[in-house]
Amino acid sequence: MSPAPTTGPPRLSRRKALVPYLLSLPGGFWLALFFVVPMATMFSISLQEGSLEAGFRFTGHWQSYTEALAKYDTQLYRSLIYGTIVTVATLVISYPMAYWIAFRGGRNKNLFLLLILLPFFTPFIIRTLSWKFILADEGIFLGALKDWGILADSYQVLATPTAVVSGMIYNFLPFMALPLYVALERLDPALLDAASDLYSSKLQSFLRVTLPLSLPGVFAGSLLTFIPSVGDFINPDLLGGVNTTLIGNVIQREFQTTFDFPEGAALSFILMAGILVGVALYARALGTEELSGS
Amino acid sequence: MEERDDVLKEIQRLAASSPQRRGHITRRDLLRRMGIGVGALSVSAFLAACGVEGSSENGNGNGTQEEEGPSFAGQDPAGELDFANWPLYIDRAKGKRPTIEDFQKATDIAVNYREVIDDNESFFGTIREPLANGQSVDWDLIVVTDWLIAKMARLGYLEGLDHELLPQFEANAGAVYKDPSYDPGNAYSVPWQSGITGIGYNPKLTKRELTSFEDLFDPAFEGNVGMFTEMRDTMNLTLLGLGVDPQNATAEDAERAAQKLTEQRDAGIVRDYYGNNYADAFARGDLWATMAWSGDVFQLQFDNPDLQFVVPDEGGILWVDNMAIPKGAEHPVDAHMFMDFVYDPEIAAQIAAWVNYICPVPAAQDILKEAKDNYTKTVANSPLVFPTPEMEERLHHYKDLDEEEEEVWNELFGAVIQG
Amino acid sequence: MSVDPRFPPQTDVAFRPQKPQVKVKRGGRFLPIYTGAVIAYLFIPIAVMALFGFNNPRGRFNFQWQGFTLNWYRNLFEIPELAQGMRNSLLIAAVSTLIATILGSLIALALSRYRFRGRAGFNLFIFVPMATPEVVLGVSLLSLFVTLNMGRGILTIVIAHIMFSISYVVVTVRARTANLDRSLEDAAQDLGATPLTSFWTVTFPLIFPGILAAGFLAFALSIDDYVITSFNAGSTITFPLWVYGASRIGVPPQVNVMGTLLFLFGAIYAAVAIVRGRRQENLSPPPVLSKG
Repeated sequence: MSPAPTTGPPRLSRRKALVPYLLSLPGGFWLALFFVVPMATMFSISLQEGSLEAGFRFTGHWQSYTEALAKYDTQLYRSLIYGTIVTVATLVISYPMAYWIAFRGGRNKNLFLLLILLPFFTPFIIRTLSWKFILADEGIFLGALKDWGILADSYQVLATPTAVVSGMIYNFLPFMALPLYVALERLDPALLDAASDLYSSKLQSFLRVTLPLSLPGVFAGSLLTFIPSVGDFINPDLLGGVNTTLIGNVIQREFQTTFDFPEGAALSFILMAGILVGVALYARALGTEELSGS
Repeated sequence: MEERDDVLKEIQRLAASSPQRRGHITRRDLLRRMGIGVGALSVSAFLAACGVEGSSENGNGNGTQEEEGPSFAGQDPAGELDFANWPLYIDRAKGKRPTIEDFQKATDIAVNYREVIDDNESFFGTIREPLANGQSVDWDLIVVTDWLIAKMARLGYLEGLDHELLPQFEANAGAVYKDPSYDPGNAYSVPWQSGITGIGYNPKLTKRELTSFEDLFDPAFEGNVGMFTEMRDTMNLTLLGLGVDPQNATAEDAERAAQKLTEQRDAGIVRDYYGNNYADAFARGDLWATMAWSGDVFQLQFDNPDLQFVVPDEGGILWVDNMAIPKGAEHPVDAHMFMDFVYDPEIAAQIAAWVNYICPVPAAQDILKEAKDNYTKTVANSPLVFPTPEMEERLHHYKDLDEEEEEVWNELFGAVIQG
Repeated sequence: MSVDPRFPPQTDVAFRPQKPQVKVKRGGRFLPIYTGAVIAYLFIPIAVMALFGFNNPRGRFNFQWQGFTLNWYRNLFEIPELAQGMRNSLLIAAVSTLIATILGSLIALALSRYRFRGRAGFNLFIFVPMATPEVVLGVSLLSLFVTLNMGRGILTIVIAHIMFSISYVVVTVRARTANLDRSLEDAAQDLGATPLTSFWTVTFPLIFPGILAAGFLAFALSIDDYVITSFNAGSTITFPLWVYGASRIGVPPQVNVMGTLLFLFGAIYAAVAIVRGRRQENLSPPPVLSKG
């Protein structure tokens, strides 16, 4: 919590009171027009019934939701599970790295940061296709192992959940690493010095001081990782197979192949609701004040 | 009466047909071309029709089936054409496309050619909404499969064709491509290429020859079999595998097919359900055996000579991809001009030599046979490009589905591939 | 603490005479090696991609090494749609990054520095686009554009990209501004600076790294985007759209080359940024109270 200002006007003047609204206006307006309005359209679609050729009529019934929940529960659970695995994995992988760069990076901090970001200047389609290439059944890696008899001929990595989750972890790593770094880098080393003096081990000073103070970064990173991975459909599409269909694939199919728009729209809102609930719980668990810095 | 006229027309056409149609015409051929189930026509009607010298006002279904055919006469081409097609579906040499270049030179029309169609359903998804709202889409010319032509025509999403602008089509198209059952009188479409859905496999990986649809269900190939996301391909081929004629398939048959596919999936045999991307996986060796399209496999053999294509014993699917003009297209006259351009036998031969699918212009085969290089000679003599009658015996059309059936089949199939 | 010249204080680890030096050093070596390993892992697909930009495949698939060639570098723009797609992608990314970063940073400032009515609600509102699957964002925008009778093309893509980038910018910048010490700015104002001046001279430089990071993120998101773009592109082609389409039938090596060049572009830009940053650091040492 930042200390309350000891100087400055005790009450915001009229003009000053407008400032936050003015600052938020352009961005807020953009989102209102290009996010809220389309969402409202989607919501009304989810309450419609009908078919592509017969036409859709607004009925206000919620059956799209109940039907969708019943039909695609497997995919919903799978998406949430994959998302969680990916988030935890990226957190575990990124944290030591972000920690080291923030505290020991010295003058090269920005360099390391840019090194992490650099691969992600090339579109993720290409990176994922690269992985598909590397992990191909008869490719440079597996093919060689099979020729040497180390692996069975039918061994495959692609088209399995492992490949999809690994692809996601790779793709979302900087989304976790970056916010972690930003939060860790903000910490005052004087605090850490004080912590080392007070606590008996480095581990304790880490757990008691560093980790809690880095929570805003953990939270931000988790959001930026969990949410896209739950809704992802590119990784399952390129790297996955039969039992790796995620809710994103289902929604895409609903809108582009089966044209069951009410069901697709309902699924979207179910998914978003699930995410929001999960995040709210997560925020509660971490302590909202620390996260928003209010 | 109408049936008899239809039969009559068909006989006349087949009788006047090209040298490509070697062999005698069987009753099944006839009926298949009409898309009518065996037994729908009584024997007596057939025999009676055979004996009658008919006058046929509709020699070739030349737009006279409509009261007033659409006419773009007097309109000039706009000089632009936006053309959406499937990938690798037109000839290519060193990054350029000779047929497109030839067309541009001959007509001064600038062509914006884009290979955006990966499968019928998803492409339809991208143009459905504007068409439903009565707006025009970005494309003047599209290529979609026969069943989608029928569906779009039914929904009123296609411009009617003015056959006055299509003289080469009238002159050079193979008889079987004129007045097809999915688009009577070619009111909305003319064929682009035709092809066969069958089985592709790599004998080096499967360690044996494949001949039957059941081979795609062999547990020995676990995790290395590919099936299509294209519902009609997979469902119809499976029905054939069950011994059911697609044209006669009932709702129960459809359910049995879905059941069989579900078993295949649950046994872990299927690696994934593919669109066009099966070719990549197949060439790489990720797939040992897969559903495949004839022209693709022919092309792939260039990269990997091991690959084979086979029409399953139980039967394969013959489909036709067609050029059509979406309703409200900005440059319809230019589209007509392109449609007609590719029916020039020289141009058709040029395309067929590269695309390696079944060519709708029979005269092209003769042109190809005269080619000097071995590759083109192979194309000219390949049954994948110019099917033999024996193969044609085993080929069937998609079942024509009405709205209800389509929904049911989509539902069944969706559950299978959803995973 | 008094300084014993035999044991100079470590700048990054508090001096603790009880702990033996060796233990600290061992811990000190693991982390950098680990970091190096992770960074190397991040580069694996990039290396493979770059390598196969030099391959000379016989047919249309580029998956077996068949010979070295610079042909694809020479004939990079041989495929007209690919070149066009790349041009479009860069243009779209530049425009959307600029606008989204500005809009998002303004919002981040408003949310973290002021208490105002509707703040909590607005906070949540910003978050919701990120909680929405890209598929849904794409389709809902398409519905809007069709209803407004807007042709889909570069403009609609840019609009879409700005929309989904704003939230990411806000979150990234806020992680930086969340615990910012207001007393610095207040001190500047006490010294006579106007609020605006004190903002620019004190606060802005402090949060600038956050804004920069947000800008990088927005740019990368835009270049990357496949899903939302595919619904709102009409017949316009962007680089990821083209690659996705090509991947189904065989990606030409030119794509590898373009990816490599994009990567190099980023690398050069990064190197320049580093060098300039170093030079600035040498010229003006960071203020005592802030983090450098």
